[in-house]
Amino acid sequence: MYWLPGDQVKLLARRLAESYSVYGPRRDEISGEVVFDRLEVPERLDLQAAIPYNPPKHVLFPHYEEILRYLYERDSQKVAIEKIDKVEPKALVGLRACDLNGILCLDRFFLWQEFVDEVYLEHRQKLFLISNTCVRPFPQCFCVCTDSGPAAREGFDLDLTFAGQGYLVQVGSRKGQKLVEELGLQPAGPEAASLREKIVDESVSSFDSFALENKAWVSRATNRLTTGFIKPEVWEYIGNQCFECGACSFVCPTCSCFNVEEVNRVDGQTDRVRTWDSCSFEGYTKMAGDHNPRKPVEDRRNKRFFCKLSYSQSKKYLRPGCVGCGRCARVCPGDIGLPNVVTYIRREITGE
Amino acid sequence: MPYHRGICNFCGTGCGHLLQVENNRVRGVYPLPGHPLSRGRLCVRGWHIHELLQTEERITRPLIREGDRYRAVSYDEAIDFAARRLKNFSGHEVAFLGSPRASNEENYLFGKFARAVMKSNNLSLSSDAGLEESARILLEGCGWPAMTASLSELRQADFIMVVGGDLTKQNPIIASEIHFASRSGAFLVTISPRRTQMARLSQKHLRPNPGTTWLLLEALARALQTEGLVNGNHLGERVENASQYFEYLESLDLKQASELTGVDEKEIVGLARKFYESESAYAFYPVGIQSLDRRSMSALFNLFLMTGKLVRPAGGLCPVTGISNLLGSLDMGVSPAFLPGYLPTDRGDSWKRFEELWQVRLDRWPGKSVGACLQEDQSLRALLVVDHDEEIIRQASRIKELDFVVYFGAYRNAFAGLASVIFPRLNYVEGDGTYTNSERRVQLSQKKVEPPSEIRPLWEILSELAGALGHPWAYKSAEEVMAEISRTVPQYSGLSYDKLRASLGIKWPVDEQNPGGTEFPLAGEPGRRFKFIFGRTREQLKGLSSGFEDRFPFKLVVGRSNYFWHQNSVMKRTFIPKREYNALLLLYPKGFVEISADDARALGLREKQPVRIVSEAAEISLAVRISPDILPGMLYIPYFIEEMVSGFLHRQVSELEKNEEFFLPVRLEKLE
Ligand code: SF4
Ligand code: SF4
Ligand code: SF4
Ligand code: SF4
Repeated sequence: MYWLPGDQVKLLARRLAESYSVYGPRRDEISGEVVFDRLEVPERLDLQAAIPYNPPKHVLFPHYEEILRYLYERDSQKVAIEKIDKVEPKALVGLRACDLNGILCLDRFFLWQEFVDEVYLEHRQKLFLISNTCVRPFPQCFCVCTDSGPAAREGFDLDLTFAGQGYLVQVGSRKGQKLVEELGLQPAGPEAASLREKIVDESVSSFDSFALENKAWVSRATNRLTTGFIKPEVWEYIGNQCFECGACSFVCPTCSCFNVEEVNRVDGQTDRVRTWDSCSFEGYTKMAGDHNPRKPVEDRRNKRFFCKLSYSQSKKYLRPGCVGCGRCARVCPGDIGLPNVVTYIRREITGE
Repeated sequence: MPYHRGICNFCGTGCGHLLQVENNRVRGVYPLPGHPLSRGRLCVRGWHIHELLQTEERITRPLIREGDRYRAVSYDEAIDFAARRLKNFSGHEVAFLGSPRASNEENYLFGKFARAVMKSNNLSLSSDAGLEESARILLEGCGWPAMTASLSELRQADFIMVVGGDLTKQNPIIASEIHFASRSGAFLVTISPRRTQMARLSQKHLRPNPGTTWLLLEALARALQTEGLVNGNHLGERVENASQYFEYLESLDLKQASELTGVDEKEIVGLARKFYESESAYAFYPVGIQSLDRRSMSALFNLFLMTGKLVRPAGGLCPVTGISNLLGSLDMGVSPAFLPGYLPTDRGDSWKRFEELWQVRLDRWPGKSVGACLQEDQSLRALLVVDHDEEIIRQASRIKELDFVVYFGAYRNAFAGLASVIFPRLNYVEGDGTYTNSERRVQLSQKKVEPPSEIRPLWEILSELAGALGHPWAYKSAEEVMAEISRTVPQYSGLSYDKLRASLGIKWPVDEQNPGGTEFPLAGEPGRRFKFIFGRTREQLKGLSSGFEDRFPFKLVVGRSNYFWHQNSVMKRTFIPKREYNALLLLYPKGFVEISADDARALGLREKQPVRIVSEAAEISLAVRISPDILPGMLYIPYFIEEMVSGFLHRQVSELEKNEEFFLPVRLEKLE
């Protein structure tokens, strides 16, 4: 492990900016809240900031992205297809463990299945990932229940843990090792590993006092969801509160639903565009029968939580689909973020 | 791709968002955490505003019609052409249609152009009828034209009443605030014939028969009286006509009201009591696209007045605007009834004030709304329109007869095809402008991208037109227009771009006494006078039956919001909202009629069975959709098919547009 003095974080950011577009948490001047954003000025990087309101998903899976462009030549009856090659190398600095795990979940969806998604792969290959241990959780966090935080275990190039005057730096890849050497960081000494462990343990035990917004009893809910014994009334209760905005999917670091559209441009070309989508939308599932108009809403809710929590999903992707970031709870107009749903399921189990 | 702070421009909630901009294009959107109203939430429309902002179906150059085609011309040519034509018309011959999506600055100048340059008082918005009605009632009743409450305190409310519409579809984030308030303990009641999602989220749902909402609200007032819960003296001398109103109420028989509305008398009394006992009561009603009628709005106002709930520093009446800047457009006087700042046009001193401010003589004749001009006024010859975004143009044939039509628009659409000359317009991220949401929050939307091919801002085009017509205007920016607004509109007197830039919106009135805006304007104003609003007699009860019940036993209600938003002309330029708004249309390509399970059983109808709906004047064929949301005796058709608007509803369209209490007596015939 290496040591990065606190005052050299800016140096690290500036160094990265030479070869990458640097992304990281920054605070909005007026609302004061934290956004994970491209940092036009690397100095705006704020490693002490709380978990960003948005996950880093947009960096490698943009909200709206042209994935190819084609032109149909009427005369020759040929189609000329053009790959849109504009993916730039990006460094993601200060990722919270949940968000890094979110990226690993996206990898499993886009890269580890039968087909490899070329567009995603290109974004992914050009990333430099630096995680940042949460020495104390934030009110919305429940990563300890989903085994995805507060510290990263894998998937980073470098991993930072704040320890007083600076950061303990763990190296996770050759790219990371190279950067550490270029920056001339000093080894952190023999105690470093146990110091990090201690910091992480303290963070874990402080969840009870700091992470108070969402108490998710995830394992029991997972059990229930998998065995399917949840009364329809619970889903109806949840479904009635869904405004069908899609936000829970959009803000989820692991949600990967997308929509593909062909957009005809005024110059005659057509763009194939990929955009975020959500299984909470009626049109996404395009139900066939439409007998009971409310039922499908419940089913769609049910589907998302099944995707996040059930065993079959966990087994397929080797972990729960939820990384415990609590974002879906904050953006949900219906107040049925995943933690609340888990609570409703738990209430049903315990009859509280 | 950096995110830039902004506000959603779709509905009158005015949610805060972050727009992701790359290479001068808006590529994504995210809710703005910390926005005082939306608090980091957006609805399905707001989550896809970037899709609309990407569209290339823009109008990018001035165009002049030549026969059936349009010729692209320079600004100079277009302005010269328009000015030369406009010179030929007197004020009475011209009408002006402002846009509730356009900024305050644009609407203010558009109104000034109409009144000060063209001397025309025919000036209105397309979907303003409900808001204007609400403003008139509130002005008459308490001298205050808009929301009397503030939504920031809503979560502390203990009583919330939602009357009509379906806020979960029209203004989803306001509905969400209501939902959160109810989850933290407020008693939430919905009053609407249809079982909406809002109703599902409520502890109580009262379902008056179509057309009787006003009666149910009066019955609540009557119940307060019979239960001895009226505190007639709380405002004492300040209420002009309390004893007359109480006398009027006495003539209402609760039992009869209960029968006519179909709502149990015990429910009425129970709710009246609950309302009376609350500390902080809010009532929400939609204005704009699907609005309550005058009687219901008045009855609601009276309820709040008689219980003293209007003057509390918590709670109040909340008219909810369906389009982003609907309230601001009325604030700016885009209405035949008001000069900017709600100065009534039927008073000489209003005109005098603006003659002095604008340094110009004004013609004081009473103007009409554009709808009324087109319908009734054969002398109308010219029309100027800003961004008309309805897909189905009513009175298109009358508009085609006009001598001259000017259109200022951002997107190509059906209306643009009717214009003699078209000026391109910026969309709202291409220039600066302020927008005023339902709760009077004035928010600055700053320029985020460069407009395509030098589209000029509306203030610049209007200034040039005014100049060409002999009125040199010297505006150099939208900010300067706001500086003038702060001098002329008293409610905006303390506003400036500097102040707005450093805030997430400020609620008017913003003035010397309230430099940071105002939350509850009626509280702590001991001098304010009040008045109950009601008709003199009670003969209205007779009008409740159509008289055709034997031939037309069903009450057909036409919904303007569910599955459908502003005729989808905005939504159709997006992908996901378009898909979602059309999902039901895909299943029922020709539209559908909803019927209760009871009636369907009695008539032996099954899902998707084709039927004919017959009214006195017209008929239409649709598929049946059996719905748990419909009362027996009621039918519901969403208003999204051309045939509905231009054929079936025929002459009733304008009545329907005015209020959602409207219903049509019909019968239903099986087609097979
Ligand atoms: S969920 Fe866990 S990893 Fe994510 S920010 Fe909170 S504490 Fe850190
Ligand atoms: S389901 Fe909710 S809490 Fe879990 S990872 Fe997704 S957004 Fe975070
Ligand atoms: S965020 Fe909430 S309201 Fe929106 S789709 Fe998800 S569950 Fe439904
Ligand atoms: S509620 Fe209205 S303002 Fe808010 S996101 Fe939805 S459309 Fe936009």
